[in-house]
Amino acid sequence: MKMFLRILSAERLKLSGSYIWLLVLASPAAAVLIGLYASSPAGGKPDWTILLSVMSTLHALLFLPVLSGLYTAMLCRHEHLDGGWKALLALPVSRTAVYLAKFTMAAVLLAATQALFIAAVIGTGLIRGIGTPVPWGLFLGTCAASWTACLPLAALQLAVSQAWSSFAAPLALNVSFTLPNVLIANSATYGPYYPWVQPMLAMIPHGQADYGAFNLPLESLLIVVLGSFALFLAAGLLSFRRKAV
Amino acid sequence: MGRILAADWLKIRGKGLWLLILVGPLGLTAMQALNFGLRFDYMKRRYAGDLWGGLLDNTALFVPMALFLGGTLVCSLMANIEHQTSAWKQLLALPVSRIAVFASKLMLCLLLLAVSCLLLSGFVTALGLLFGFGASAIPVYGILRIGFLSCAAVMPFIALQLWLSLAFRNQAMPVSIGVICAIVSPFTATLSEWLPINWPYLAWTGPHRLYFAGAGLALALLVLLPGAAHFARKDVN
Repeated sequence: MKMFLRILSAERLKLSGSYIWLLVLASPAAAVLIGLYASSPAGGKPDWTILLSVMSTLHALLFLPVLSGLYTAMLCRHEHLDGGWKALLALPVSRTAVYLAKFTMAAVLLAATQALFIAAVIGTGLIRGIGTPVPWGLFLGTCAASWTACLPLAALQLAVSQAWSSFAAPLALNVSFTLPNVLIANSATYGPYYPWVQPMLAMIPHGQADYGAFNLPLESLLIVVLGSFALFLAAGLLSFRRKAV
Repeated sequence: MGRILAADWLKIRGKGLWLLILVGPLGLTAMQALNFGLRFDYMKRRYAGDLWGGLLDNTALFVPMALFLGGTLVCSLMANIEHQTSAWKQLLALPVSRIAVFASKLMLCLLLLAVSCLLLSGFVTALGLLFGFGASAIPVYGILRIGFLSCAAVMPFIALQLWLSLAFRNQAMPVSIGVICAIVSPFTATLSEWLPINWPYLAWTGPHRLYFAGAGLALALLVLLPGAAHFARKDVN
């Protein structure tokens, strides 16, 4: 455990100076721009639920899946340069701990993105003059659910990023699976089983939209998310433990 | 120049670039195959007057995104060949002019994109024929336009990405910028048409599409000049 924490703090140090915080800011910033011009379907000022769904469209549909790929690619970048894997794994550390520390960092970065996104939604709502009370339960619940739905994607991307030395190649995979989201989110048949669209499905307040795959029970979501998470993390971990550096 | 291009041609083998060039148009076509295939009767009724036009319009929605993304990845993967192995020093120590090196990377990038656009036209035609839209009604100009005009309008972005990818050893920055541009691009369509990020889509739709394609090419030249100048003068380490 102590080793894990020390690797984790080393990972944090390696990220300093990588301008990764700009990426953390990007999606909430874009969401604020969208939120400032949002209106309710009837016209006029949106309420909190509508504001959340409007602002989360770009954020959860495209940014979250892509960011899970970008973060993991950045976490592996240092090691791919100049024989960093050799230098790191020659130290008395277990490979499992290294891998899990990298994954934890990715999860923390995604959580930070989500926290900033909640702040962005609330800030936008206050600027637009949407009255209190702020529905904290709704915000925290949806953001936590979509964060959970991002974990399988981060696990897959970490597996790919540690295997491929190029920065762009894992992202090519990531984005080519993310773009079909635009279509798949509207499909009630395929939406529930496509891991990349789950952050979006988890983010939309339940019972709000009556089309597409947006009205899923939380249980079926969890089965897809947890199943793909276990699969991707185990596959990545196994391949990392056996990887020749 | 020809020999540098030939060398670059050899260097991109086995780097996944050709795969990317194939997968991009294939993926776009597969998305439309699903889009139409899953609700064929509805789509056929909706576009009853112009089946080919409906297919092309639906495809064109995703072409700008794919071009932004593909351009970013092609530039980055190509620049990464030298970055990864620190081969810039060796390459530029040879008796070749730096402008020629830059130009050959640019030519290769354009060539790959052109192949990709051509493949897209081919795949979309095949899909339309498969759906039985009729060979006599094929809108040849529209099918060629779908990739190539948007590609012309995306050139400023490609020039910028090539510059950034060649300038920074850390590919995280150019790739992040490219990917973010790609996923934001569908959401900026309502903003001003002066924004270059909207040009690839405007080069498909609207009355002034040739203007946007032309403006793209002109702006690309403007971006290329500082890019090439920077590459010609930059320190190599």
